[in-house]
Amino acid sequence: MRYLRNLGRRKARTTLTVLGITIGIWALVVFGSMANKINALVEGGSTYYEGKLSLSDSSGSMGGFSSAPMSIHTADLVREIDGVDVVVPAVMMLMDDASAMTMGVPPMITAAVAGTDEGREEFVISYAQGRALTAEDDGEQVVVLGSDISRKFSAQVGDTIELRDTAFQVVGIMAPTLTAPDQAAQIPLQAAQKILLATMPPMVQIGLNASDLVTSMTVFPEPGVDPEILADRIEREIPNVAAMTGNDFDEQIGSATAILNAILVGIALISLVVGGLSVVNTMAMSIAERTREIGIKRAIGGSRFRIVRELVTESALIGFVGGMIGLGLGALVVVAGNEAGRSSGTVLFELTAWSAITAVVFSTVLGALAGFVPALHAARLDPVAALRYE
Amino acid sequence: MAILEGRNLRKTYRLGKRNIVPALRGVDISIEQGEMVAIMGPSGSGKSTLMHILGLLHAPDSNDGPRPDLSFAGRDMVDVGENERTKIRASQMGFVFQDFNLVPTLTALENVMLACDYAGVKGSVARDRATDALGLVGLSERADHRPAELSGGEQQRVAIARALVNKPTLILADEPTGNLDSERAEEVLTLLREFNEREGQTFVLVTHEPDVAGACHRIIRMRDGKIREETRPAGNTADPMVASPPPAPEREPVLAGR
Repeated sequence: MRYLRNLGRRKARTTLTVLGITIGIWALVVFGSMANKINALVEGGSTYYEGKLSLSDSSGSMGGFSSAPMSIHTADLVREIDGVDVVVPAVMMLMDDASAMTMGVPPMITAAVAGTDEGREEFVISYAQGRALTAEDDGEQVVVLGSDISRKFSAQVGDTIELRDTAFQVVGIMAPTLTAPDQAAQIPLQAAQKILLATMPPMVQIGLNASDLVTSMTVFPEPGVDPEILADRIEREIPNVAAMTGNDFDEQIGSATAILNAILVGIALISLVVGGLSVVNTMAMSIAERTREIGIKRAIGGSRFRIVRELVTESALIGFVGGMIGLGLGALVVVAGNEAGRSSGTVLFELTAWSAITAVVFSTVLGALAGFVPALHAARLDPVAALRYE
Repeated sequence: MAILEGRNLRKTYRLGKRNIVPALRGVDISIEQGEMVAIMGPSGSGKSTLMHILGLLHAPDSNDGPRPDLSFAGRDMVDVGENERTKIRASQMGFVFQDFNLVPTLTALENVMLACDYAGVKGSVARDRATDALGLVGLSERADHRPAELSGGEQQRVAIARALVNKPTLILADEPTGNLDSERAEEVLTLLREFNEREGQTFVLVTHEPDVAGACHRIIRMRDGKIREETRPAGNTADPMVASPPPAPEREPVLAGR
């Protein structure tokens, strides 16, 4: 291709310019994939909490995610409240204390009595292997694993794993959801309550019954009831209870992730701007060196439009090549990073086909734009003057 | 029929605040179809400027004097826009330069095809025409070579092929033999004359070499932006195939070198 020949004129210079774009696109791909992953998690959470309330002990730090125990009998009180349809008591706790500070969702043990939701739960989970937990499992030591957790334990259906020093048999593995359930291990409520009791200080354990303990409750409002209003009502009528709605979730988590997104994408965009400027510079130099040649082309009948088109195509090609290489390298980091992180259950990146295509299209357009101004300038030169240029 | 007619052609270049160069001060010129005309003169005489105007690269000035006329193939060119002038240049004119001016990254064939491309001819048609043109200048075997691999004479012949591939009405050549040794210069000159005779194309050559001028039908001499003299070398209008030395009329000394 003719255009490649022009680029080959100054190989070192072209390489450096392409490198500039490559780095920018690489950053966009890697950081963008991180942002994608976080967004998917948040999106999942937001969808999950739509139209629901999550109750937890009001002394907890992050509303809705406290591990502080509540009495299961509170659920009866909640059911009495006007506007409440179904209440599902549940136990949720960290799988191990060490993973409290991971980015995104830490591995969790979750438990509820299957079927308590009476079909209200709309978040559908499909199963890659085995089956879901049923009400009959209550009292057994069985577990259903999220897709990331199953990889972390390298477990298949039928294997036995240990959660908080207790053995469980795997009866099902969930298909990937790209959000919190991937990091969850679901066990029957009784088993979870026993584990929860065991985590408490011995003196506290004496006065408690495992079967009384839960850490949260999911409340489904009656149709037509505004969850916000219901949340306020519950908090007013029942002591020591904090109610979190979908809006609360969006506010808390949403704003934090929005900032994170902005930082990640901002870094990437800045690198791209720098890369783009490097293309402008290279094209300006390259075009200046070819002033005479441009003069010839104009003199023998090349229109200004043709000249601009040829030059912009060249700089677009630089953008395209830089983008493809950056994408390739970025994809490598994403795949390697995800592989390395799988063993600890931390999957940080999500590179979608759409992101990949956007990255390359973006770099090509950036290249084209970067070459546009020098090209226009060159096309407007007086052909006679350009011909005489040394 | 006059292929090029110009009246009151003026051009002043403003190169800076104080640097005003009146290159052309009022020229009337008429060139017949099929003529081979040489324009001679010392540096600063305006010969290159005249050629640029005739080649539609620059427009003649309309201010500071009577309105200029310029018509090419019967069509007025003074009020025509830049895009239109470019199109006419592409399809109806050919240019040959002193420095050959080939595109260095393209092969000889591709350089010639470039002229086809600009005239709107592409693909295999362009390839065929370009191949024929290279054949006519005797460079068929060198079609795939880049300019760096060609001698000066060969490069100029490629440039001529490029100028002629679209069978243009008018060919303008600025010192076409200036950078060539006498043997090559002779070859190039012969080529140009052949095309003129065979195809009836009009040639306007700017030159300072008497041999080149002597091969033309008419010599126009310029000085200080105006035409001063026109002569017709004997033997060139009647039978161009018979070479006869041009007479030695009284001429103003030609300042050589550029």
